[in-house]
Amino acid sequence: MTPHGWTLFFALALVPGAVAPGTRSPAVGEGLPERAGASAAPLFCAAIPGAPEYYAIDLVSTRQVVGTGGAGGAAHLTFDTTPFGVSLAPDGSYRTTLHVQVDRLPARREGHFVAWATTPQLDRVVRIGVLDDDGFAKGTVEWNKFLVVVTLEPEGAAGVDAGSGAAVQTGAAPGTRARGAPSGDASSDRWTGPVVLRGMSRSGRMHTMAGHGPFEQQECAAFGY
Amino acid sequence: MRRIRVLSRAALPALALLVWTSASLHAQDPDPHAGHDMHAGHDMGPALPGGWLMPPMDPSMPMLPGLAGAVPPVTAWLPHFDLDPSDFPMAEPSRPVDLAPGDTLDLLVSPVRRMIRGREYLMYGYNHQYPGPFIRAQRGSTVVIRVRNEIRFPTTVHWHGIRLDWRFDGVPGLSQPPIEPGESFVYEVRVPDAGMFWYHPHVREDVQQDLGLYGNLLVLPAAPTEDAPTEDEPIHREELLALDDLHMTEDGQLLPYGLESPVNALMGRYGTVMLVNGVADHALEVDRGEVVRFYMTNVANARPFNVRFGDAPVKLVGSDIGPFERESWVESVAISPAERYTVDVRFPESGTVAITNTIQAVDHFRGIYYPHVDTLALVTVTERDVATDLAAAHETLRVRDEVVRDIDAFREHFDREPDHELVTTLRIRDLPQAIVLSMEIDTFYVAPVEWNDAMPEMNWLSTGNQVNWILEDAETGARNEEVHWTFRQGDIVKIRVFNEPRSFHPMQHPIHIHGQRFLVVDRDGIRQENMVWKDTAMLPVGSTMDLLVEMSNPGEWMLHCHIAEHLSSGMHFHFTVEEAEGTAPE
Repeated sequence: MTPHGWTLFFALALVPGAVAPGTRSPAVGEGLPERAGASAAPLFCAAIPGAPEYYAIDLVSTRQVVGTGGAGGAAHLTFDTTPFGVSLAPDGSYRTTLHVQVDRLPARREGHFVAWATTPQLDRVVRIGVLDDDGFAKGTVEWNKFLVVVTLEPEGAAGVDAGSGAAVQTGAAPGTRARGAPSGDASSDRWTGPVVLRGMSRSGRMHTMAGHGPFEQQECAAFGY
Repeated sequence: MRRIRVLSRAALPALALLVWTSASLHAQDPDPHAGHDMHAGHDMGPALPGGWLMPPMDPSMPMLPGLAGAVPPVTAWLPHFDLDPSDFPMAEPSRPVDLAPGDTLDLLVSPVRRMIRGREYLMYGYNHQYPGPFIRAQRGSTVVIRVRNEIRFPTTVHWHGIRLDWRFDGVPGLSQPPIEPGESFVYEVRVPDAGMFWYHPHVREDVQQDLGLYGNLLVLPAAPTEDAPTEDEPIHREELLALDDLHMTEDGQLLPYGLESPVNALMGRYGTVMLVNGVADHALEVDRGEVVRFYMTNVANARPFNVRFGDAPVKLVGSDIGPFERESWVESVAISPAERYTVDVRFPESGTVAITNTIQAVDHFRGIYYPHVDTLALVTVTERDVATDLAAAHETLRVRDEVVRDIDAFREHFDREPDHELVTTLRIRDLPQAIVLSMEIDTFYVAPVEWNDAMPEMNWLSTGNQVNWILEDAETGARNEEVHWTFRQGDIVKIRVFNEPRSFHPMQHPIHIHGQRFLVVDRDGIRQENMVWKDTAMLPVGSTMDLLVEMSNPGEWMLHCHIAEHLSSGMHFHFTVEEAEGTAPE
């Protein structure tokens, strides 16, 4: 599968940039709180205080789970604390902390909402964590381009609590159809439940010079390669 | 106090000239760095026969429509290309020189021959050395550096990071007149802080520094005191790593510079050949188990490096102005132009360890990142065991109590609101339309840090006459030399700097403050846990950093981006620190 093909696949997930024209420097100085959702007020796409607004990822409902159509949120990236101003993984990729904040999720009767990050090719997945009661989860990502998905995992699934030993399998849930069939491996750290929300890092949407980025779908060959 | 008034008055004509020249060249954009302009009124030599050479390009990348045959709208130029290289000496590797308090060092600025990858080039050198002499001095001392200029153009020497008397800071038009060809200037360099510093010109750094004018100055702790007790460092030896790059064609020709204005004004001049200590094949040999302290200085015009020592864990010890509060383990060192980092590395196994620049390069055209590794140097670890095993001491991470105590006095200011806010951005004019259109499309996403030049043709075509990099005072809207701040000696000032991502071409900026020291207190609102005194700090695109500056050193000082081409494209201003009452002049 070429990156071009995946661009088509994720076209529905693309939304205008999260940066509002004319906005200024993010409010900083209060320090980044552990969570941002403790307030009773909705935080739909609200910026994490201190997080660079430039590195915000809008999360869009897939409307595939009953009651989640009105849910929304954002993931914000901050560089891991580093002496150098920019934190890097051993291969030179950016190492960032992903702050996932989702609002207007329905009260769940069973299962857990889990946040994940995955490469645009979906060949690697990292589990960010279970959304807490305020819809918040935080974890580390070491890729320059990635997708964020939030899934509804069944109670006790391996993806909810890694190492719990639970061996719950699901069928071909919408989320897993994205790459074919589920792995069938109970210890897999890939999601097994349906995708509830998804979004793409700004770098994941980067494909602009050749005119076949997210908004233009011209063939690469027309541009010489 | 009286001294400051007199000197400030003396600086006024130069500043007036600087502003006037700026206004005449940039009708809308104040100050194109006129005080640093080395060609006005000087014989720069003839234009380069044959004109411009194209920068190396990815052959699979198509030429942008409308740019075929385009060249930068300035004169192609290489200093001294018309002179016979055999008239100049072959440069030698840097040699250390220890200066006791009051000692004088003669520093000659002159053309030299250099051999790089088997080819001879006519470049510049301090005392015929590459890098310049490695100066060592004792903290608290003053040493005298007598500089003589024997190149064709004016120059100065800036003592980067040193809180010295501002009259010797080396900024033309602000702290001194430029040193004209054939003339001399005597610098009295007071060194109040221990640390690894460096020196370089402050006139057309994009040319003079790039051609070899740089060197290190190590300030050693003086006799032990209660605040700074000496202790045995768990290392066997010390090595300098001056990280640099040169922009060459594939067949080894040096890319010309812009005569009237720098080229590569958008991104700065990213080289194609990596240099460590002035050579492309730097190597050293160590014994098995040896612990080496590396003092790294990024002397490149624009390129940030991400330095790895194979898979060896790296103990981060210090940065610009002395040690961190706490030593820590890191996997690599990201170092932007003008920054310094000090690390200890142990080599436990025999064999070869490559010191590399390990990055994820960006290809804007294809919209991808790809891994890229440059070997900067090779370390050969012999089969011979080191005489004294320092493994246990090396693996111990120490807390530097003297640094913690020093910083303690400033913690009460950490949570203050900023006193000043700066925004970094840029304006353009008269760039080729093809570049403008391409860049506008490409602003959908810009990487936090540009580790490589992914747009060499567009970058090369941009000059300082078309690109105006900007430091804007968020409160007043004043830009670059329109900004002027005044402080009192002893003020503790918080400066917030935001790197605006919504501009024509956002890019990281290494922000340098002359003559003072600062702490990076917060980055994007996150408190920095392990601090070190700095004079230069990298600001990624879209990020904010809060700098707590100790305005301890009276005088007239600069704040600027240390990408040489951004500096030459206007990204600087000066500020005044008035002497506190009752402070006796030295």
